[in-house]
Amino acid sequence: MSVPNPSVKVSCRGLWKIFGPRPELARERAEEGLDKAQILETTGHVIAVRDVSFHVEEGEIFVVMGLSGSGKSTLIRCICRLVEPTYGQILVDGQDVTAMDEGRLRELRRHRMSMVFQHFGLFPHRRVIDNVAFGLEIRGMAKEERYRRAREVLELVGLQGWELYYPQELSGGMQQRVGLARALAVDPAIMLFDEPFSALDPLIRREMQDELLKLQQVMHKTLIFITHDFLEAVKLGDRIAVMRDGELVQVGTPEEIVAHPVDEYVQAFTVDAPRAKVLDVASVMHPAAESGLPSNPAPYTVAPHTKLEKAIPLLVQEGRPLLVVNEQEHPVGYVDWKAVLTALGGA
Amino acid sequence: MVPTSSVSPPETPRRNTLLRYLAGFWALILASYALAWANVPLDRFPDTWYLGLREPIDAFQAWVIGHRATHPAFVYFFEPLSDAIDWALRGVEGQLLSLPWYVVVAFFFLVALHAGGLRTALVAGAMLLYMGLVGLWAESMQTLALMGVSVLLSLAVGMPLGIWAARDDRVDALLRPVLDTMQTMPAFVYLIPVLLFFGVARVPAAVATVIYALPPAIRLTNLGLRQVPRAALEAAESFGATPRQVLFKVQLPLAMPALMAGINQTIMMALGIVVIAALIGAGGLGREVLIALQRQQVGRGVEAGLAIVALAILLDRVGESLSRQVATLPGQRTRWRGFALLPQSWIRFAWARAIEEGLRRLGQGLLASARVLARLLGWPLGNQAQSYLVRHAYAVGSLALLLVLTGGGAVTGWRGFPPGWSLDLRTGVDAAVVWMRDNLYQLGDLPIGTGPLSDAITLYLIVPLRQALLRTPWPALVALAGLLGYRLGSWRLAWTGMGLLVGIGLLGMWDKGMDTLSQVLIAVLITVALGVPLGIWAGRSQWGHLILRPILDVLQTIPSFVFLVPVIMLFNVGRVPGIIASVLYALPPVVRLTDLGIRQVAHETLEAAVSFGSTSRQLLLKVQLPLAMPTILMGLNQTVMMVLAMVIIAGLVGGAGLGLEAVIGLAKNQTGRGVEAGLAIVFMAMWLDRLTQAWAERWKPPRGTA
Repeated sequence: MSVPNPSVKVSCRGLWKIFGPRPELARERAEEGLDKAQILETTGHVIAVRDVSFHVEEGEIFVVMGLSGSGKSTLIRCICRLVEPTYGQILVDGQDVTAMDEGRLRELRRHRMSMVFQHFGLFPHRRVIDNVAFGLEIRGMAKEERYRRAREVLELVGLQGWELYYPQELSGGMQQRVGLARALAVDPAIMLFDEPFSALDPLIRREMQDELLKLQQVMHKTLIFITHDFLEAVKLGDRIAVMRDGELVQVGTPEEIVAHPVDEYVQAFTVDAPRAKVLDVASVMHPAAESGLPSNPAPYTVAPHTKLEKAIPLLVQEGRPLLVVNEQEHPVGYVDWKAVLTALGGA
Repeated sequence: MVPTSSVSPPETPRRNTLLRYLAGFWALILASYALAWANVPLDRFPDTWYLGLREPIDAFQAWVIGHRATHPAFVYFFEPLSDAIDWALRGVEGQLLSLPWYVVVAFFFLVALHAGGLRTALVAGAMLLYMGLVGLWAESMQTLALMGVSVLLSLAVGMPLGIWAARDDRVDALLRPVLDTMQTMPAFVYLIPVLLFFGVARVPAAVATVIYALPPAIRLTNLGLRQVPRAALEAAESFGATPRQVLFKVQLPLAMPALMAGINQTIMMALGIVVIAALIGAGGLGREVLIALQRQQVGRGVEAGLAIVALAILLDRVGESLSRQVATLPGQRTRWRGFALLPQSWIRFAWARAIEEGLRRLGQGLLASARVLARLLGWPLGNQAQSYLVRHAYAVGSLALLLVLTGGGAVTGWRGFPPGWSLDLRTGVDAAVVWMRDNLYQLGDLPIGTGPLSDAITLYLIVPLRQALLRTPWPALVALAGLLGYRLGSWRLAWTGMGLLVGIGLLGMWDKGMDTLSQVLIAVLITVALGVPLGIWAGRSQWGHLILRPILDVLQTIPSFVFLVPVIMLFNVGRVPGIIASVLYALPPVVRLTDLGIRQVAHETLEAAVSFGSTSRQLLLKVQLPLAMPTILMGLNQTVMMVLAMVIIAGLVGGAGLGLEAVIGLAKNQTGRGVEAGLAIVFMAMWLDRLTQAWAERWKPPRGTA
């Protein structure tokens, strides 16, 4: 999948978050090559985020995934400075967030960035509509206007008619829709999602994922999405960053990660991935440069970015290798059963 | 990798206890040599060590008296403050007394009806009627005014402090020990310094009440704000809320239940000090009890004491129902109300529906006439004002009714409680007390009755224990305190305890302190001996629970002083009535917490024990009691503190020791003497509090148990 817009919206440069009274000590140890557990043992400091750099393009869904304790929640909180980063820079539209004073930071949070929380973070003392209008209210928007806007957003997430209920009267899925609506209401350019769907049951989770993708097709916002669920990452992410012990282990498109995991840790995640849906023929084909071309190809050809799940029926139907051709209709390689089965087998 | 199949337990830290005891032992021996070498007598606390705080304090008092009219601290701070409080007190009191009595009753009735329903309203009405019926209407209104002003002041000071403490950990860390100390101090101790700065009259009483009621206001505000879920705060912050917005839009609304609990506790604390405040010039019900106590008029004391209880019940019930209304999240309240005024459950009665309909029509009619009236006055009612009136129909209607009643009172001239309506309790009570004194003091020539009991307690418990404490060389007692502190807590506790005991000696209060300590120990012993079995009974049998609960409820609302009145009649003046009163006063927490501790044991745990064939006795001794122990010891801590407070108060009726010393200081206006005794009381309270808390802490099971 190509990056829709090449302009960089958010970028992190050499970001560290170290908990403890003397972070410089812990950083020194880290630079000597000690790992997280060793540093905790020797200095008592917890390195939550360790020298992380990445950039997020405008309109992209950037997923950060990792096991619990890998530092991903801390990382996303550093981006809006709910957690103060220890070292490094965060740039939003080229402006350094870490250098902002309180007033400018507040402006950023009020207008350009909003967040959806794992346990929803709704205000139990406010009706649904007042929850959704919260961000507008603290900006100082008049009541009529913010209610009008809140109703619009509630309709967008399918909650019209629930305005006057209290959050605890709603189901979990509906509560997270309120959380989503609250974040959408302020019309931010950037939205941060901290494992928003992991507290929901699997069916509702899938429904919410689909809904988010549908909304994103209309909104084209920049989304940074945290999850511990690799399938969710693959489904939603334009790019995925895999985190372990505070470090980014690998950043890439879903197919890059599934096809070429950098190490065993990343590979362990990819085992359960629906490889046929993720991998494209280009990542499994025998390249023409190495293997030459088959003598009896099928009459159909496929483009390099065709997913395996689309290519497999053709292989079944034809029983012969398929040529992979580029945009100039020039063959760049071919796929046969051996290539497909090897890739699906996870080797 | 080799799989590790067995999990080895973490090594328990091995303290080298033997070594520590040896060190302690040697330290003691060296210390006694040092003391002997310095010619310090061991049998009595050395007089030469007396700090002599008395003179400088008395000198300071003389200076204060001399400069009250001239020094800027008084001219620009204490005097204006004092005047302002006095003005407020007089204003509220005058207002309450100038209102016809039935307007006051109607006010509480209407508020209670709205907040808590008909039952609460009837209880509130009955409580107020009682005050009038026993002829204490004016006194009750005085006390109510004192309560109202003091509680408002407490909240005005306490809530901002609580908010500050919740937002700044350093302030919290600073306030915590201060509040801890304030809460362990018997109320008596506050009076002396307050008196010094505010003179004698109603003002120092109000100030003492404010200070006494302050800790719960601060504590619960702080607690409530800190309990607000982190997620809600983070969410608010992530949308760019300013700290102020977070406070007002998120924290305070979510902390409402705790805030309301804080207000309720503040009121109850304030009521608890009513009688004590009378010692320094508060009028009202407290004065009545005090006079009755001094003149040994039990009937009069009981009437006034019950009026205080009635006031407590009134404020507690109304306050509680109001707070329940504010504190429940709106979503949990019934969204649909069929009736605006009457209890919802009455909707099945035709007559109730008719009344409701009538009220509704009346309201509409009133609204219409208000509209007409407003137009005539050239002040047309806008839509907003109208919808406001409709939404607050109850409040508006009640206000109108009260105004009409007040107006009626002005016309008819009815004001005070009608003298013909009276309830005579005191004759009966007095007769009963006389009968009890004559017949229960001693049964014939048998050694049975309150008299012999009193003598026995004195002869076989109080005197020997006091003698033992006084005859034991003081360094041995201090060392014992250290050992106890170490065994129950830590070295730190040991040093603190020893320091506090030596402190009592340095204040020149060693003998008096030991006297008080002996009374406290005996009262605690009796309380525990009675309370724990009662609690076990209540915890294991539904009957016990049902029988004991109302009795404990009543005991707990009675102000400490009221216990003293009948007890003196039966047990002579001296140390015994103080001890008996302490036992009665401090019994509820032991019984209650033992009961609670036993009931808290998980059902599954009991089933497990029974499934192995435990007898009922084994169940109690091997499962229920050990698991209830932390809770019971919490009860013990409360008991010790309450007993101490009561033993001090008993100084008023001849219970010797630190209490008597403080009373004399207060009565003779010898501030230095009073402060010395007061400080000694504080030291004793802190020591006993830390010690019992540490003990309770030791019994807590390791983390993670159900």
